[in-house]
Amino acid sequence: MKPITVSNLTVGYGDRILSKNLNFEVNAGEIFVILGGSGCGKSSLLKNLFGLYPPLSGTILINGRDLTLAQGQDRQDLMLSFGVMYQQGALFGSMSLLDNVKLLMEEYTHLSNDQMNLIARCTLDLVGLLPYENLMPSEISGGMQKRAAIARAMALNPKILFLDEPSAGLDPVTSAGLDQLIIDLSRNLDITFVIVTHELASIETIADRVIMLDKDAQGIIAQGDPKVLKTQSDNKKVFEFFNRVSTT
Amino acid sequence: MSKNVQAVWEVLSPQKATLTLRGQLDTSSVASIWKDITSRQSAWLKASDSLEPELIVNAAEVEYVDSAGVAYLIDLHRQQDLAKGRFKITGLDEKYQMLLSRFSPIDPLYPAPEEKLIDGIIIRLGKSASTFLQDIKSLVDFVGKVTAGFFWVARKPLDLRWRDMVFAGSQAGVSALPIVALVAFLIGVILAFQSAVGLQQYGASTYVAPLVSKGIFRELGPLITAILFAGRSAAAFAAEIGTMTVNNEVDALTTAGINPIRFLVMPRVIAGIIVVPILTLFANMISVLAVMLTMTLYQIPFVTSYKGLISMVNLDDIYSGVIKSVIFGVVVAGIGCMRGMQTGTGAAAVGISTTRAVVSSIVVIVLVDGIFAYISYQTGF
Repeated sequence: MKPITVSNLTVGYGDRILSKNLNFEVNAGEIFVILGGSGCGKSSLLKNLFGLYPPLSGTILINGRDLTLAQGQDRQDLMLSFGVMYQQGALFGSMSLLDNVKLLMEEYTHLSNDQMNLIARCTLDLVGLLPYENLMPSEISGGMQKRAAIARAMALNPKILFLDEPSAGLDPVTSAGLDQLIIDLSRNLDITFVIVTHELASIETIADRVIMLDKDAQGIIAQGDPKVLKTQSDNKKVFEFFNRVSTT
Repeated sequence: MSKNVQAVWEVLSPQKATLTLRGQLDTSSVASIWKDITSRQSAWLKASDSLEPELIVNAAEVEYVDSAGVAYLIDLHRQQDLAKGRFKITGLDEKYQMLLSRFSPIDPLYPAPEEKLIDGIIIRLGKSASTFLQDIKSLVDFVGKVTAGFFWVARKPLDLRWRDMVFAGSQAGVSALPIVALVAFLIGVILAFQSAVGLQQYGASTYVAPLVSKGIFRELGPLITAILFAGRSAAAFAAEIGTMTVNNEVDALTTAGINPIRFLVMPRVIAGIIVVPILTLFANMISVLAVMLTMTLYQIPFVTSYKGLISMVNLDDIYSGVIKSVIFGVVVAGIGCMRGMQTGTGAAAVGISTTRAVVSSIVVIVLVDGIFAYISYQTGF
């Protein structure tokens, strides 16, 4: 069973359609990247995938269960099967990094405080933030906030992680460190990543497979291995995107 | 036992024990075995007289390990270390062995509990005094800047952002009319009923409306309006400017050479000066009307109450209340803006600023009212 299967999905708000007739699957353990120019609906698609907003039509199967139809406890169980990292981190400002990571465990597990502390410390160690466990989000840099946000998303050790522009606004070195972290987590913990980004360097480093959305086409204009798309795609927009050129 | 994980604890000798794990060692499953196995391990370690008791974890049938599973294995290791014992994992998938090796050494995962320093009374007093002095200093600084702002407005009235002033005024004034009317009306009714209970015993029900109205014009009208203004508008000013501070918008104004006091504070303070007296007069009218209406229930005609009011309430009473309300307007709007400008970082800081704005405003309102009461006593105004 595929972790994510999307069929005939229409993404938009009210009468405004951003993308339609989207069909794709995400394989287990894969780093799957959604890319495209500004305003093509990447983040909106991601928000549909993790259930923040309902799609206009179509189905989203998470581990074979339809997220768009799930209600009540069934929906909550489904929502807990994945973690989400928002673009700005969205860490809780009044809690230390350790408490941010512990929060979901406190809500949804029966572990003791010492056990939760140890798991949270292991998770923070995985993202390289163990020495900063007692700091507040406002006391750490943007790159560290994104790492902490990934740690929080991993709190219940979900098998799927959705990341919204993890590298946006980071310097190249920090961005490369974050890319390596994503690769390590994917390989070591078998986590499936669905990532929205338009950072070319990141895409080339981490992506096993990509789909590219286009505003004018209102849908997917390319999908596959980014290295192949970069060199072999005959679509002008795909070529321009991967080779960072503008012919307009 | 969880359906995802199985743990079999076996003591082979005082020197050796084995733990056989099967299945998935993850967040949802470790909770079911953690406490039980740890207590067995502790009991075995306590009973063991061996110098180096050895625990061997057989993980050949472990299918999956996540960070909770890693934490569990680390905790077993830690118990062995504390008892100066040995710890060995066999058969664990190479991938998970590599994951586990990332946490070596394990000591940093067990930081010593932080010593909570409790300040003595002298230190606490010192800290409170220091905070109080800082608060006074920033208050004096802010008052100075706002005073300079008034001179600037007087010199260059056209440079004030009048559109912002009108917007702040309409939010703080027009939008507040229904709540001010409701509260003023109810206060009038309550005062009339309460006063009538006492004065009726002396056959002086006729004097309820004039007496209560005098109190409303001089005291209660301005006070109630100012407290409502503090709760609605000082809080709103603090939250709005506080959010701007958190988002570096105030810094952006400063670096663009725009004085934040002139840009953000003066329009709101001037709106407060204009709006609070108007709201006060409005509240006075509604309250007095409520008193006179209530007294009709005691067979005191509306006209009688009105004539009594005209004879007892003079213009000085109205002026006294209005002048006080002007001061309340400046003070409350100023405090709201000041608390907003003092906002720290993060969403919680905005909440703190808003609370401080309302609390400080109400305290200062009562303080100013007390000063006015004294002046009134001394001058007869």
